[in-house]
Amino acid sequence: MRAPVGVWATEAEQRPRATDGRAPDVFSRDGHVPMRQFEDGEDVDFAIVGTGCGGGVLAAKLAEAGLSVVAFDAGPFWRPLADFASDEREQDKVYWLDERLSDGDDPIELGSNNSGRCVGGSTVHFQMVALRFRPEWFAARSRLGYAVDWPVDWRTMWRYYAEVEDALKISGPVSYPWGPDRGRYPYRAHEVNAAGLVLARGAEALGVPWAATPLATVSAPRGKSPPCVYRGFCKIGCSTNAKQSVLVTYIPRALAAGAEIRDLAMVGRIESAGDGRVTGVHYHRDGQWRFQRARNVVVSGYSIETPRLLLNSATDRFPDGLANGSGTVGRYLMVHSNHAVWARFEEEIRWYKGPPSMAVCEHWNYVDDHPTKDFDGGYAFMSQGPLPVDFAKALVSNTGTFGTALRNRMAEYNHMAGLKIVGETMPQAENRVTLDEETDALGLRRARVTFSYADNDKRLFRHSLGFMKRMIEAAGGFDAYETSSTAHLMGGCRMGHSPEDSVTDADGRTWDVPNLWICDGSLMPTAGGVNPSMTILANAARIADRMKALAARGELAARHA
Amino acid sequence: MSETFLAPYPDYDVLAKWDTPSWNEQTREVMAHRLREVPGRRFFDEEEWAVLVAVCERVVPQPERAEPVPIAPWIDAALFEGRGTGTHFATLPSGPEAWRRGLESIDREARARHGCGFAALDATRRDDILEAVDAGDVDAAIWRDLPARTFFRHLLLEQIVALYYVHPDAQSEIGFGGPASPRGYVRLGPDRLDEWEAPAAAKRP
Amino acid sequence: MSEGRLVQRRVAGRGPVRSMNSRVTGRSHAAASAARWDTAIGSVGAALIVGLVTAVVAGRAMRRPIDRLPADRAALKVRDGAAILGASVLADSAMEHLRGGFYNPAMFAAPVTAAAVLSASVAEPDPRERTFAHGAHAAGAAVGATGLAFHLYDVGRRPGGASWQNFFYAAPIGAPGALLLAGLFGLASERIVAIEHLERHPRERLRIARLLAACSGLALLFESAEVALLHFRGAFHDPAMWLPVTVPPAAGLALLHHAARPSLHRDRLARLLTGTTGILGVVGTGFHVYGVGRHMGGWRNWRQNVLAGPPTPAPSSFWGLALIGLASLDLLAAEGLPR
Ligand SMILES: Cc1cc2nc3c(=O)[nH]c(=O)nc-3n(C[C@H](O)[C@H](O)[C@H](O)COP(=O)(O)OP(=O)(O)OC[C@H]3O[C@@H](n4cnc5c(N)ncnc54)[C@H](O)[C@@H]3O)c2cc1C
Ligand code: SF4
Repeated sequence: MRAPVGVWATEAEQRPRATDGRAPDVFSRDGHVPMRQFEDGEDVDFAIVGTGCGGGVLAAKLAEAGLSVVAFDAGPFWRPLADFASDEREQDKVYWLDERLSDGDDPIELGSNNSGRCVGGSTVHFQMVALRFRPEWFAARSRLGYAVDWPVDWRTMWRYYAEVEDALKISGPVSYPWGPDRGRYPYRAHEVNAAGLVLARGAEALGVPWAATPLATVSAPRGKSPPCVYRGFCKIGCSTNAKQSVLVTYIPRALAAGAEIRDLAMVGRIESAGDGRVTGVHYHRDGQWRFQRARNVVVSGYSIETPRLLLNSATDRFPDGLANGSGTVGRYLMVHSNHAVWARFEEEIRWYKGPPSMAVCEHWNYVDDHPTKDFDGGYAFMSQGPLPVDFAKALVSNTGTFGTALRNRMAEYNHMAGLKIVGETMPQAENRVTLDEETDALGLRRARVTFSYADNDKRLFRHSLGFMKRMIEAAGGFDAYETSSTAHLMGGCRMGHSPEDSVTDADGRTWDVPNLWICDGSLMPTAGGVNPSMTILANAARIADRMKALAARGELAARHA
Repeated sequence: MSETFLAPYPDYDVLAKWDTPSWNEQTREVMAHRLREVPGRRFFDEEEWAVLVAVCERVVPQPERAEPVPIAPWIDAALFEGRGTGTHFATLPSGPEAWRRGLESIDREARARHGCGFAALDATRRDDILEAVDAGDVDAAIWRDLPARTFFRHLLLEQIVALYYVHPDAQSEIGFGGPASPRGYVRLGPDRLDEWEAPAAAKRP
Repeated sequence: MSEGRLVQRRVAGRGPVRSMNSRVTGRSHAAASAARWDTAIGSVGAALIVGLVTAVVAGRAMRRPIDRLPADRAALKVRDGAAILGASVLADSAMEHLRGGFYNPAMFAAPVTAAAVLSASVAEPDPRERTFAHGAHAAGAAVGATGLAFHLYDVGRRPGGASWQNFFYAAPIGAPGALLLAGLFGLASERIVAIEHLERHPRERLRIARLLAACSGLALLFESAEVALLHFRGAFHDPAMWLPVTVPPAAGLALLHHAARPSLHRDRLARLLTGTTGILGVVGTGFHVYGVGRHMGGWRNWRQNVLAGPPTPAPSSFWGLALIGLASLDLLAAEGLPR
C-alpha cells in the first residue's frame, strides 16, 4: 500500500471509502450517500478505468441510461469540505506522484503539473478555465492546413459543449468575443481581480479583445455548492465545493443513477480472451488483486495511464499491447506550451485572491493572416495567480536565483502580475508514452514519456512571449522576465478516420477490439490553443450518447441492449 | 553577497489568523504538524546532511531569525518516506540517488577548489560554488553524467523553495494571505485589501 | 469505525489544536488583528446602527402629535416611505462603500446624506421651505444625482467600459438613484402639505396626487431594473428571485396606468400589487439574510459574507417605495374616483 502523502484524513488514502453499499457524500464533512454495488463475477455492462473528465461523464450518462457501470479510480474519494487544507504541500495528495520517467529533448514535468489521482480526476485540482475549441480546429488539416482532422464535426461538438457547460454551471461572460455564438453561459462571469485587470488594461492598450474567463466555479449558489469565496487555492483543490469539478457534479449523478465507484482501485491489466474481445479488468484494491468481469471496458486514465494500461495488457495475440495494431498507442502525445511573462507593478495586485486566471485573451487563436504570425495553430493566454510555492518554483527553475536575491524577489509577490499561454503543440509520432523496464510498487511497468518541441511549437511560444511582453508593459508592468513550462496532456491514443493511424473510431471504440473503448483526453487528435477539459467533457458526453444509441441498436454488448 | 533582505510586511503574521474563519480545522492540524513535528535526520548520512544544511543556508539565508525555517529535515523526511514528485527526469538518477550524488558532487567540487568540504566554506565561497553548479561550470570528472544545472534547479532549488514558502514565517514575509478557508476575500481590485490581509507595504527604496 | 471518528481520534491524540499556535510560536495575535478602520466592517456596522438610531430619534423629536387631515396622513406615509428608502440607502451605501474600502473620501457623502434624509423624513412635514428637513431632502436629491454621475463615470472608466461585467461589479447605478428618489419624495411630501395648508387648490391637489402616483410607478420600474440586473448576475439561481422582477414592475405599471386615468378599478389593482410589493420588500430581506448564510462559512464568516452575499438592506427599498405608492393612491382616492 502507498504511504499517505498528507497528514490529514490519511484514512482516505489508506482504505477505500466507497464500500458497504455507500459512498462518501462529497457535500458533507463525514456523510455518505447510498451506492449500488456489483459482484466481481457479475458481467457488468461497463467497467470504466478512471473517473475524471472522460470516465466521470461516461459513468453518469451510461448509468442514467440504465446500463450497469463500475468505475475504478486509483486515487482516494475525497470530501473536500473536511479533507482539503489550505496548504500547498499537504495537497500534493491529489496528484499522481508515482514516478514516471520523463525523457526527450524537452522533458516535461509530470505530477502536480498535469496529473491528478483521485475520484474526479484532474478536475479536482484543475484551474477551472472552461474554453471551447475554435470550430476550425476540428478540421485542422482541411480548413487550416496542419496536423489532422478530427473524426467529429464542430457543430456536433458545439451542442455537447453546451451540455457540459450546463452540467458544470460555467460562470462566463454574457457575450464572448471570439468564435461563433455559444449561447449564454449558465452563470454570470465573476468579478475580474486585479491580476485579470492587468490583462484587460494591456489588451485595451494594444487594441485586442479580452474577456472575463469562463470558469467552472459558481458565481452564485448552486444546490449545495456555495459561490466562490475567492480564496485562490483552486489549483490544490477547492475546500468550499464552489469549484464544479467532476467530483461534485458527474460523480454524484453517477452514484444516484446506480453506478458503482471503486476508489483506491488501480487497474493493472485488461483481460482479453482468445476471440480477441476483452472480458474484464484486473484491479488492486484493499491489498489484493481482483478481477471484475465486464461486457465492455472503457479506459479513461488520461494520456499517460491510458496507453500504459493498454501496453501493459499485451498478450500473445496482442504482443504490442491492446488496440495497438497500428502502433499508434502512446503516440502523438501533446502538451500545451505554458510560457509566461511576469512583471512588477507599482500597485499591489495580490494575485492570490480569486481563481488564478480571471481574464483571457484568445486573439491569436482566431487570427490566421498576420505578418507576424509565423506558426500553425494558436494560443490563448490568461492572467495568473500562482500560490507562493508555485511561483517560487517557476522563478528558481527558470532563473536559478538563490540567496537573499531570491528572498527579495519573492518579497515582490504582491506586486507581481503575469500572462501565460496555453499554446498548441503539433502532434508528432515520436512524442509518446512507452513502457520502462522498471516496475512500480504493484509490479506494473512504469511509463516513460518522451517529448520534444517541434520547430512550429517553438515559433509559436516565441511569438507569444514577444506579444505578452508588449502587453504587460503596456499595462504598466516593469522588470519583465520570461519563464517556460508545459501544461496539460492531450493525445496518446488518438481517435481518427482509419485504423492505420489512429487507435479508435469517432465513437471511442478501438479499431482492433470491438468491446474495448477509450474515453478521455488521450483521444484528442490535436491539442488546440485552449485548456482541454471542456473538450474532453464534451467529447465524453457525445461518446456516451453514441454508446447509448449503439446499445439500443444492439451494436454494443449490453444486457439492456 | 552584499544584498540584505528588506522585509516589506514586518508586522504581519499569518499565524495571527489561526483562530479566525481564515483557518479551518484541517489546516490548523496540518500546520501544527509542520510547526511542532520537525523530523530528525533519517535518510542522509552525517556528511551529506552537513552539505545539505549548508546549501539550504545559502539558498535561503535567514540571518535575522533566531529560529530559521527548517528545510533540510523535510527534504530528508520526504526521501526517507519515499514520497515522490511524479517526475523522474531521464537524465537524472532516481530521486534518492540523485540527491546523494548531487550533494556529494557539490562537496567534492568544494574540496577540489578550496581543499575543504562545502560546509566548512564561508558564505561567499559557498555562493560561488553554487553559482558555478548552476552555470554547469563544474569539474566533469566529479559530476560525470549528472547534469549539474538540472539537479541544481529542478531538484535542489525547487524542493528548497517548496519547503520554505509553505512555512507561515515565509508567507508572512511576502505578505501572502496565508490559509483562506472558509473565509476567502472580498476586495479583489488593485491596491484594495480586506482587513484580514497584510497592511499595505511601505514603498521600497 | 467511521471515518469521522477516526479523524476525531487523531485530533484528540494530539491535544487541542485550536489553542496551539501561541504555544507553538510563542507569538501574540496583536499585530494582524489590529484592524484598520477603513476596512473594518465591525466598526462601520456599529457606526451604522448608531447612525440609524440617532437619525430616527432626532427626526421623531421634530414630529409633533397633532390632529391630521387626510392629506397630512398621506404626506406622512410618503415620508415614512422616504425614511425607509433613506434607511435602506444608508445601510446599503455604507456596506457597498465599505466593500470599496472608502477608497475615495466622497464615498462618505452617501451614507451621511442618507442618514440626513432618513432623519428629515421622520420629522413632521412642514410646509415652510426653510427647514432642516427641506434642506436635507434637497441635499439627498443632489448627492443622489451626483452619485449617479460618479457611478456612471466609474463604469466607463474601467477596462471594458459600458459592459455587462462593469454594470455587475463596478459602482452600482441603482443605489445613488435610490438616494435621489428618497430626497425627491421627501420634497414631494412637503409640497403635499403645502398645498393642503397654504394653497387649498383642488386642481393642484389632484395634479400632485397623479404626479406622485406616476413617480412612484416609475421609481418601482427603475428599482426593478436594478434588481433584474443583480438577479441576472446571480443567474436567478433561486426561483424566488423572479418575484421582485415581476411583481414590482407590475405594480409600477398599474400605478402609472392609474395616474394616467384614475378609476376605482385601477385603484384596487394598483393597491393589491403595490401592497404585495411592500410585503415582498420585507420578505426579501429575510431571503437575503438566508442567502448570506448560504455562502461558505455562513454567518460565522459574516465579515466576508455580509459584503459578498446578497445585500441585506436592499429589498426594503421596495417597502419604502410601496408605501409612497399607497400614499399616492390615498391622495387620489380622497379626490373621488370614477367607477
Ligand atoms: C494543475 C492543473 C490545472 C489544470 N487547469 C485546467 C483548466 O484550467 N482548464 C482545463 O480545461 N483543464 C485544466 N487542466 C487539465 C484537465 O484537468 C485535464 O485535461 C482533464 O482533467 C483530463 O481528463 P481525463 O478524463 O482525460 O483525465 P483525468 O481527469 O486526469 O482522470 C484520469 C483518472 O484516471 C485515474 N486512473 C488512471 N489510470 C488508472 C488506472 N490504471 N486504474 C485506476 N484509475 C486510473 C486517475 O487516478 C485519474 O483520477 C488542468 C490540469 C492540471 C493538472
Ligand atoms: S477561489 Fe473559488 S474555486 Fe478557487 S478554491 Fe476558492 S472557492 Fe474554490
